[in-house]
Amino acid sequence: MNQGRKNQSKLMTAAEAVRRFVFDGAWVGMGGQSIGRSAMCLYHEMIRQRKKDLTLVGCNLSIPMDMMVGLGLVKRTECGTGNLERFGTTQCWRKAIEQGRLVNEDYSHLAMVTRFLGGEMGLPFMAIQSLLGSDILGKKSASSGKKYEIIDNPWKPGEKVVLLPSLNPDVSVIHAQKADETGNLIIEGFLAHEPEMIRASKAVIVSCEEVVSADEIRRYPERTTIPYIYVSAVVHQPWGAHPTSVYRSYSHDAEHMREYQKAARQGGAAFEDYMSKYVFSCANFDEYLEKVGGLRKYNRLRQEMAEML
Amino acid sequence: MSSDYTLNELMIIEAARHIRDGETVFVGTGMPMVAAMFAQKTHARNMCFVVETGPISPEALPVPTSVSDPKAMHRAAKLGTLREVLGCLLQRGMVDVGFLGGAEIDHYGNINSTVIGDYDRPKVRFPGSGGANDIASLAKRILVIAPHERRRFPERCAYVTSPGYLDGPEGRKKAGLKTPFPELTVVTDLAVLSVDKAEGKLKVTKLMPGVSLEKVQESTEFKVRGASSIVPVQPPTADELRILRQEVDPDREYLGKGD
Repeated sequence: MNQGRKNQSKLMTAAEAVRRFVFDGAWVGMGGQSIGRSAMCLYHEMIRQRKKDLTLVGCNLSIPMDMMVGLGLVKRTECGTGNLERFGTTQCWRKAIEQGRLVNEDYSHLAMVTRFLGGEMGLPFMAIQSLLGSDILGKKSASSGKKYEIIDNPWKPGEKVVLLPSLNPDVSVIHAQKADETGNLIIEGFLAHEPEMIRASKAVIVSCEEVVSADEIRRYPERTTIPYIYVSAVVHQPWGAHPTSVYRSYSHDAEHMREYQKAARQGGAAFEDYMSKYVFSCANFDEYLEKVGGLRKYNRLRQEMAEML
Repeated sequence: MSSDYTLNELMIIEAARHIRDGETVFVGTGMPMVAAMFAQKTHARNMCFVVETGPISPEALPVPTSVSDPKAMHRAAKLGTLREVLGCLLQRGMVDVGFLGGAEIDHYGNINSTVIGDYDRPKVRFPGSGGANDIASLAKRILVIAPHERRRFPERCAYVTSPGYLDGPEGRKKAGLKTPFPELTVVTDLAVLSVDKAEGKLKVTKLMPGVSLEKVQESTEFKVRGASSIVPVQPPTADELRILRQEVDPDREYLGKGD
């Protein structure tokens, strides 16, 4: 488990980061939450390299999970929800579960964070007191192992406590606003489940809007969200989260979200056309950005974010 | 009092009335967020709005499309982590009201947002719990907002994502939930229903203007009964409608374009 603990430059291309740290069959921790701050540039690369038999984990799994499920690259998801909220449920995921092509094990969001918390603390399990009485405990996939244990509070017999097994993903995929070359990260805006998941992961690949100097980090170390010791790769990709939003940088691209959702809902050739146009026929994320954007759109997304702060 | 409003609008305004000023309210995506924003602009200016992605006490801008929408983070006191809000605030017992939407709500106030049918091969797959199970399990009071359609109100949910009273008055207590007897209120565009704690079942406590118990029964699968006293939902004031339409949801994303 020596996936980048060193204080050295980890700058590389998305292609190299994915090649080195994402393997077939990996348990992949997905950062971001629905329409916010998903490392789309890294996921596009995972798709181009056809990484498969994946288990995707996180809280609110969204567009990149849905793309990979639609392509048959995912065997299992463990999450709190598959959702693009106002834009609807993740459609490839929904259909795959309904048609028995994908195993999904349901948790609540606090439950997933609790599992990552056990993982980041180096413990085998962690306690929680929601889930009791619900079918999140009452029902599970036939292929899932022991999902939970209910114990009595040893100090107050009669009080029930649920134990959940810790979760340590093989690799987590994150988009940050700022990173230095060694992987010190500054993440702005909501954090959701990321700190726990990142610190529980065996490897972490990060795309960032901006590469900052080590000096900028080390002069204000109290502002560092994640220190370099957790990070395996740093990929510099401005607009790397499109069509999701990046707090303080740009808003989400609602028009493109709807375009994706339409293709996913229809499935078949419509979905294949979307994936071909925006992922497979692009050599890299810059080519995708040229296809989806244009200066007017990008300025508008920047402006929309500025107005929300 | 204005007579020119939709029941959808009144549903949002009525739900907001169930938030008391100064309360800490955990808000789910969609309709709950709109109603909570309305409450914050009217009688509950000092409420503490909490969103599951981490914002604590934001002054949300109209209208967030998602819990990760930056509009839900505007002028927050802090942007924390999921653990800080769902764990530290909610699980520790510092949240007064958990405010949820619901795909399916049954006679005991249980909510289903997961599946209809077999878990491994469902007839319909919904998004899943998100923070909803945590909120229903741990908030001191549960508030639900949902359109009143027959298929949404079965006797028993196909899957219990978020616990109401489970299977009876002692359901939550037997399961070991830390809040065994919370107030549980469901506000729809036809009525307000609250759990009668003696039975653990929802009963109608208020009716929307022009709506009868019979009409509510037509739109509900489970047997609808009235509480010992039923009062009408107060129609909205012109001021309330103005705030809702112009300040909270000017693009009518949730209010709807037509009647």
